[in-house]
Amino acid sequence: MADALHELSAAELGRRLASGALASRALCEALIARHQAINDKFGAFTHLDEADVLAQADASDARRKAGQGRGPLEGIPVGIKDNVAVKGQPLTCSSKMLAPLVSPYDSHVAERLRAAGAILFGRLNMDEFAMGSSTENSAFRKAFNPWDLERIPGGSSGGSAAALAAGLVPLALGSDTGGSIRQPASHCGVVGLKPTYGLISRFGLVAFASSLDQIGPMARSVEDCALLLDALASADARDMTCFGPSDRALTPAGDARKLRIGVPKGFLGKGVAPEVATAVNAAVEFYRSQGCAVSEVELPSADLAVPTYYVVATAEASSNLGRYDGVRYGHRSAVSGTPVEMMTASRSEGFGPEVKRRILLGTFVLSAGYADAYYVRALRARAKIRAEYLAALAGVDVLLTPTVPTPAFKVGEKAADPLQLYLEDVFTIPANLAGLPAISVPCGKSGRLPVGFHLVGAPLSESKLLAAGRLFEDAHGYAHQQAPL
Amino acid sequence: MAEGFDIDHLAKLARLSLTAEEKALYASQLGQILGHFQTLAQADLPATADGARVVDESVLRSDEPGPILGAEVVTRIAPASRDGQIAVPRVVDDES
Repeated sequence: MADALHELSAAELGRRLASGALASRALCEALIARHQAINDKFGAFTHLDEADVLAQADASDARRKAGQGRGPLEGIPVGIKDNVAVKGQPLTCSSKMLAPLVSPYDSHVAERLRAAGAILFGRLNMDEFAMGSSTENSAFRKAFNPWDLERIPGGSSGGSAAALAAGLVPLALGSDTGGSIRQPASHCGVVGLKPTYGLISRFGLVAFASSLDQIGPMARSVEDCALLLDALASADARDMTCFGPSDRALTPAGDARKLRIGVPKGFLGKGVAPEVATAVNAAVEFYRSQGCAVSEVELPSADLAVPTYYVVATAEASSNLGRYDGVRYGHRSAVSGTPVEMMTASRSEGFGPEVKRRILLGTFVLSAGYADAYYVRALRARAKIRAEYLAALAGVDVLLTPTVPTPAFKVGEKAADPLQLYLEDVFTIPANLAGLPAISVPCGKSGRLPVGFHLVGAPLSESKLLAAGRLFEDAHGYAHQQAPL
Repeated sequence: MAEGFDIDHLAKLARLSLTAEEKALYASQLGQILGHFQTLAQADLPATADGARVVDESVLRSDEPGPILGAEVVTRIAPASRDGQIAVPRVVDDES
């Protein structure tokens, strides 16, 4: 094979696999060799079961040879964030609390990927229990940005974004509670989509904040992102909030040149780095030049999004993480004593600093005497933010902003100031609070660091977001980019 | 809004054992974060949280038996097991 396989898109790999020009085993061997050569530099993966990957590849090649190929992902590796259950593989959430756990079952998305013929490829690094925006909170090792190894890849799906940017896999799963797919996608120069709340089942996703969590696709192009999204989305009774995509294909649809684009007033001002504002303004002008109607929209409660999110998310996290008690699975302390002493010691030894901080914060905002002032007010603020977004999206098709206010920062730069780190999510959080689909698409560079723009649409408007992203991508050179390593 | 913030009480509620250094650090950081939340206290908000839920329709499924992991798998992933059951520290004293 003359081409370097790690540089090819999932769509192109699919064509070569379908034509017989490429075998899944050869592809997986090439990616395993690349993993062995470079993964230690930036820590995208925390685990790769090479024998299991090759066994899956051989099974895929056998199916195809027998004329029983399962679809467009047949034989294509997909990296899996380590909070998504894959039977027989570690399920750690990059936490010492779950370090001993091997998943006894498949998540719904793992079932979907197997049914599509995909190769479930390794465990991707993340902030512990998906709490963070830098992947510095992994209990195992920090991940670094392949474009600049002194900088963070974003988070919490930092391993997923870094693996794509480095050509370790063509496709990856992330999860997004406040921006954890889109923010690392922006920092690493790849595409990441958070779907409409309820589109993809969370059965087998380790819960962080259940009213916000979504699984979503990440890739090096909009086309590949759409390919993975289409394979993942289906109704599932095991996630009570999952209604699935009905019978619509989740692919780019409609003429993106006719889209009405709203730019929220003030979103390109305070706190946005000049080079980010320049790149995002250029994206706005591109859409205008293509015939899109661009207008300014008002989102007056935007300043409430970050505090609202951190009250709601930590409240839900403090409840969800109550299950880690050292009894049924995960870490149990060697400290003996009463059951409560064992549970307290297990939790104190197993959780890292950011997880403890968020559990304490969530416990406080739900505690007697304070719940009305914090949690209930946050729910009321959430209702207001959601209503404003839905009203804005009644007048335009998509809202366009930066994905992140600044390019990737240096490792350790914000480690001592959690509030500054929380403000990384200012543009991505509202889509989670309102349950809306959103995508980050690469649109430029600040030096060698990638910059992305962010589109938010009405519920179930993924096809529009993908079409808009595709229009931009086709006219620019950022699709399929990989960091020089 | 953050009057009465008691890190010892919170740690007890959260079943976390914190060192003196951790208590000082978290108390300081939580105070700073809660200070940022003052915008919520001052905001003009709707009287109710109606509309905060993203999925509006009833999402309760029928209560029907489904597949389970089984005792062998459950005890295999448990930190400690004995005689096909999960082992935990003694809960009830013999004397009581």
